[in-house]
Amino acid sequence: MLTVSRKTERLVNLTIALLATKRYITKSEIFRTVDGYEGNDESKERMFERDKDDLRNLGIEIEVGTFDPLFEDESGYRIKPENYQFQLGEVNAQEITLLSLAAEAWRGASLSSSALSALNKLHAIGIESDSELLLDLAPAIITQDENLAIAIAAITSRTVLSFSYLNEELKEQSRALEPYAVISKYGHWYIFGNDLDRRASRLFRLDRVSGELKPQGKSSAFEIPGDLDVNQAFAKSSELSSAIVFIRDGRGLNLRSRGSQNFTTSAPIGWQELKLEYLDRERFIEEVLWYGNDVIVFEPIDLRNEILGHLKAGVATYG
Amino acid sequence: MVKSQSTPVEKAARLLDLVPFISTHQGIALNELAQEFNLTERELLSDLNTLWMCGLPGYTPLELIDLEFESGYVSIRNAEVLQRVRLLTKQELVIILLGLDILQSSLDPKRDDLSGAISGLTIRIKKIVGNVAAALPIVDSTHRAIITQAIASRTDLLVSYHSTIKDTVSERVITPLELSLDRGFEVLDAYCQSAEGFRTFRLDNMRSVQLAGSSVNIPEPRDGSDYQWQLLIKSRFRTSSERFRSVYRPRESSAGEEVTVNSFSQDWLLRNAVSTLASVEVQLPVSARTLIAEKCQITLELYENWPFPN
Repeated sequence: MLTVSRKTERLVNLTIALLATKRYITKSEIFRTVDGYEGNDESKERMFERDKDDLRNLGIEIEVGTFDPLFEDESGYRIKPENYQFQLGEVNAQEITLLSLAAEAWRGASLSSSALSALNKLHAIGIESDSELLLDLAPAIITQDENLAIAIAAITSRTVLSFSYLNEELKEQSRALEPYAVISKYGHWYIFGNDLDRRASRLFRLDRVSGELKPQGKSSAFEIPGDLDVNQAFAKSSELSSAIVFIRDGRGLNLRSRGSQNFTTSAPIGWQELKLEYLDRERFIEEVLWYGNDVIVFEPIDLRNEILGHLKAGVATYG
Repeated sequence: MVKSQSTPVEKAARLLDLVPFISTHQGIALNELAQEFNLTERELLSDLNTLWMCGLPGYTPLELIDLEFESGYVSIRNAEVLQRVRLLTKQELVIILLGLDILQSSLDPKRDDLSGAISGLTIRIKKIVGNVAAALPIVDSTHRAIITQAIASRTDLLVSYHSTIKDTVSERVITPLELSLDRGFEVLDAYCQSAEGFRTFRLDNMRSVQLAGSSVNIPEPRDGSDYQWQLLIKSRFRTSSERFRSVYRPRESSAGEEVTVNSFSQDWLLRNAVSTLASVEVQLPVSARTLIAEKCQITLELYENWPFPN
C-alpha cells in the first residue's frame, strides 16, 4: 500500500513540477528537486523512464527540448499547459450535457472505466448540465466485448492487431490488420482496416474473433487515411443479383421493407409480387425459406429449382 | 461499474482529475464526491491523504496542496498548477464520438437545435481523432427512455411490436418488468395484457412505445418452459450457429457438429430449421421432425401448384 502511494505521489509531483515550469528542466534537476526519486543513478533513471511512459499513456505529453545549446546532452523536460488541458475549447451547458450523455451511454458496458474518467473531466469543468434535456433520451451501448476496448486503443495509438478469425467452417484464420475504425451496425460491432496479408481493406465482425485481439509491434506504425469514410466499409464489393418473389398478404414484413413492389404482372389474389436484390445466394435462399409457405421465388428459374430441391430433400429426410 | 483495486497510475490519474473537480465544487460533501468518482468513502480518503503530500518542489506548506476535509466537506487551496481540467484521451474521445452518434440518430426530428450542437461537437472531436468510429443503433433511445420511465413509475405501455417469429405487427398493452440482455440483444421482460402471459420483447423490434396509464394487473410468476431441440450442423457452421443463436467455438474436425438449442418459441425453431434445410438436420424431438416435414410438404405443394408460365 505504501509503495502504491509513493509511486502515485511521484507521478503527481512530477506532473506538477513539469507543468509549473516555464523553461525546460533537466533530468538531474528533476532527480534533485522532485520528491520520490531515490536510489542510485541507474534506478532513478529507470523510474523516470517508466514515469514518462505512464504519463504518456494517460494522454499527458512530456516535451523534450534542449536546455542549453552548448551542452547537448543536457536535454530538458516540460509539459506545455496547452497540451495538458481540456482540448474541446469553450463548451456551454447544452454541450456538456450532450457530451455527458454520450459518455454515460457506456454505463455498464465494456469501456465503462474510460467513460467514467471522461465524465469526471467533463463535470470538473464546473458547468451544470441542462437537466431538461436528460428526460427523453437514454442512449445506451450494451456491448460487453472486451475486444472493443483493445480495438479502440489500437486505432488511437495506430498499432497493428493480430487475431484469429472464425470462417464459415469455424476454422481459425490468422489475421494481421492495421485498424482504421470501429463501427456498430445491424446490432453488431465491426472493425475495419487494412488487412496486411490480403493487402486490401477488410471488415471483421468482432463477435467472430476467437480469443483476444493482440497488439503487435510499435505504436504509430501506420497512417489512417485522412479521407476515411466508414460507410465505405459496408459498400458492396460484388454485384447484386435480383429475384422476383410472391409474398402472401400482410406477410414477409422484413422482405417488403427492402424490396420494390412490381406491378407489371398480375399476382394471384392474396399475393403481391416483389423484386428483391441480394448479394449472397445461400443467405438469400435461407431468408426466403424462413417464411415457409408465405414467400415463394418465381424467378430466376435456377434459384426456384434450388429451393424446390431443398424442400424435396426436407420431405425425404423428415417425412 | 466494476470495482477493482486501482493501480498507482490509475490513482494518479484520478488525483489529477480530483483537483479541478474540487476546485469547481468547493465544499462538496465527502459522500457526494465519492459517488461522483465511483469510490467508497474510504478509497476517497486515501486519495485525499495522498494528494495532501503533493505539491511543487520544495514541499514546504507553502508549496503543498492544501486540502480541508475533516469536517466532511472538501475544499482545496494552493493547487493552481493542476486546476486545469485534463484533456480527454483519444480513447475517451472515440467512445464519446460513438455515444454522440447514437444520440444523433434517436433525436426527435423537431430538435434540430440539439442535432446542430451534436454535429458541432462531432466535427470538433473528429478533427482530433479522425473519422475512426461510427455507430448506427438498432434501438431507438427514446423508446428506451420511455420504458425505463414506465418501469420506475409502474406504468403500462402501449407498444406497436413487430414479431419476426409471427411475421406480424401488433398493438399490445404490456406491463414492463425488467430490461435485460438476451444473446447480445436488448430485451424487455414484460407481462403482455393482450396475450395474458409473460413475454420477452426485443427493443429493436418495437415500432412505437408510449405510456398507457397505471398498471392494475399484478402478473403471476413466469412459466419457464422452453423448447429444446437437438441439431446436427453439417455445413455453414458459423451462419447456422448464428441463426439458432448457439454459442460457437473454433473447430478442428470437419465432421458434423451436434448442438442443443433452446427457445421459448417452437415457431422460431421451426422457421430456423426450414431456413437451414441445406445445412442442418434436426434430430430430436421426433415431434419437431414431423413439424418440419409438414412445413416442407405444404411449401413444396405451393410451388408445385403455382401457376408458373410454361
